[in-house]
Amino acid sequence: MKRTFVISVVAAALLALVPLFIQSPYALHIFILFFIVVALGESWNILGGFAGQYSVGHSAWYGIGAYGAFILLQQKNVAPWFGVWVGVAVAVIVALAVGWITFRLRGPYFVLASIAVAEIIRLLALNWKDLTNGAEGILASDLPPLKLGGTMITDWNSKTPYFYMGLLMAVFCIAVNYVVKGSKLGYYLQAIREDQDAAHSLGIPLTLYKNAALGISAACTALAGSFAAFYVGFIEPQGVFGIDVSIQMVLTCIIGGIGTVSGPIFGALVLVVLTEMLRASLAQAHLLVYGVLVVVVILVMPEGIVGFASQRLRRRKAAAA
Amino acid sequence: MTALLELRSVSRYFGGVKANQDVTFSVEPGIVLGLIGPNGAGKTTLFNCITGFYPPSKGDIFFEGARINGLSPDQVCKLGMARTWQKVRPLAKLTVLENTVVGGLCRTRSVPEAREIALQQLRVVGLEKRADVLAGGLPIGERKKLELARVLATQPRMVLLDEVMGGLNARESEEIIQLILDVKRRGLTQVVIEHDMKAIVRTCDRIVVLNSGEMLAEGAPQQVVNDPRVMAAYLGDSGGMKA
Repeated sequence: MKRTFVISVVAAALLALVPLFIQSPYALHIFILFFIVVALGESWNILGGFAGQYSVGHSAWYGIGAYGAFILLQQKNVAPWFGVWVGVAVAVIVALAVGWITFRLRGPYFVLASIAVAEIIRLLALNWKDLTNGAEGILASDLPPLKLGGTMITDWNSKTPYFYMGLLMAVFCIAVNYVVKGSKLGYYLQAIREDQDAAHSLGIPLTLYKNAALGISAACTALAGSFAAFYVGFIEPQGVFGIDVSIQMVLTCIIGGIGTVSGPIFGALVLVVLTEMLRASLAQAHLLVYGVLVVVVILVMPEGIVGFASQRLRRRKAAAA
Repeated sequence: MTALLELRSVSRYFGGVKANQDVTFSVEPGIVLGLIGPNGAGKTTLFNCITGFYPPSKGDIFFEGARINGLSPDQVCKLGMARTWQKVRPLAKLTVLENTVVGGLCRTRSVPEAREIALQQLRVVGLEKRADVLAGGLPIGERKKLELARVLATQPRMVLLDEVMGGLNARESEEIIQLILDVKRRGLTQVVIEHDMKAIVRTCDRIVVLNSGEMLAEGAPQQVVNDPRVMAAYLGDSGGMKA
């Protein structure tokens, strides 16, 4: 436990040094994408990984976070680092309302309901043109510089500030997972994942705890989503509320290892690095290879990379003993 | 002495099927009550009614004098009544200790505190050496013990044991019998569903017999076992009673 903590801090510190040595915007871009995918995977992991509620509608919280911050910037001139929190708050409120209804459903029915909710919100964003500008989307105007007191920290004119924000976001989401897993909430969520009836009989109020997981998960997703949106600089309904956004979060966790704190990190590594490499060499055909890869991973390592590795480790330990 | 648990003409219907019909009995504090009956008599359904999984269609259930029908299973557990499952339900990807910690968290927020409670209960059932094994990998005998440890970790005043000896060999059954007696000595009230009549006679202070959802007999173990109506119910159904 202690060792993993030290390793994580060292890794984060090393990553923080990267922009000092690498100036290539493309390389930094890949790092930023990686941080975003890690943050999103970790966010999904709280509900999908620990509580076992496989939401395929997390784009809803991603999009609400993004739209919240964008609309406030565009229409009210609120700086993103304040607007983001409004987006997060709205996402949590909507999530809890939705959870209160959909958590009566179990297994595949919950999955379908989660997709439906994201679709409803997407259609809402598409048609509520006064607020969202419809299908044309919103282009982020120039970001106001980030100031702390009188000193300017960054004017957002290079990739470097995004790099650090992304790193911070990823570390934050990992830390949330770590804290949740070791707490009463974490134990209860895992009990719910393993067997709802057993969990219920051991004194766990199912809906309350599922909603707690959903609330935290939605907050993190909205936070990461609005960051991602500002990094891209443009949002439109399909891009932020589309099912691909949700599926990417699920895949990050499936490939890395569902329900493990470090899983999404490995999943993101595979997804981001591999897609970039494939895209460079195969152009459009990369999606094909990508699909095959996902199938292979699921067949060979159904518990994901981290699950597979820890299983091997346990077996080796058992053999040695 | 007032009853810890009291059932007043509890009935549970599934469509036209009467799974339980006018079941009335009470359980005094500190006793072990045996609930027996042929397969399909409605024993597990009654457990589900008592613990909040199926609200009774008619009748009332009182725990420590308070009416509890309509409460959810987690609320019933919080009040101090915990049940095991006939078909064991280990939290497969959690370790034996983690399984028991989940039970321990019923009365505390603190994970370290729940760990202490859990370790203590694992020692009670004799699973402390298996604490770090994944629950999904346990053989049936140990799974049954884990169910018991997990339930005891919720620190209940009353436990409902649904066939904790089912599928066990003679040695394992004997261990469970000793456990039930041990738990009784510590003052916990127990209701046990069991098929093994020897075990029932050795552990129970009183027996309630269900047949086709209705109460057939109630009384001291020897008296019930020799009751011709009980004999008939068993002989007619499963071909003989091991007593």
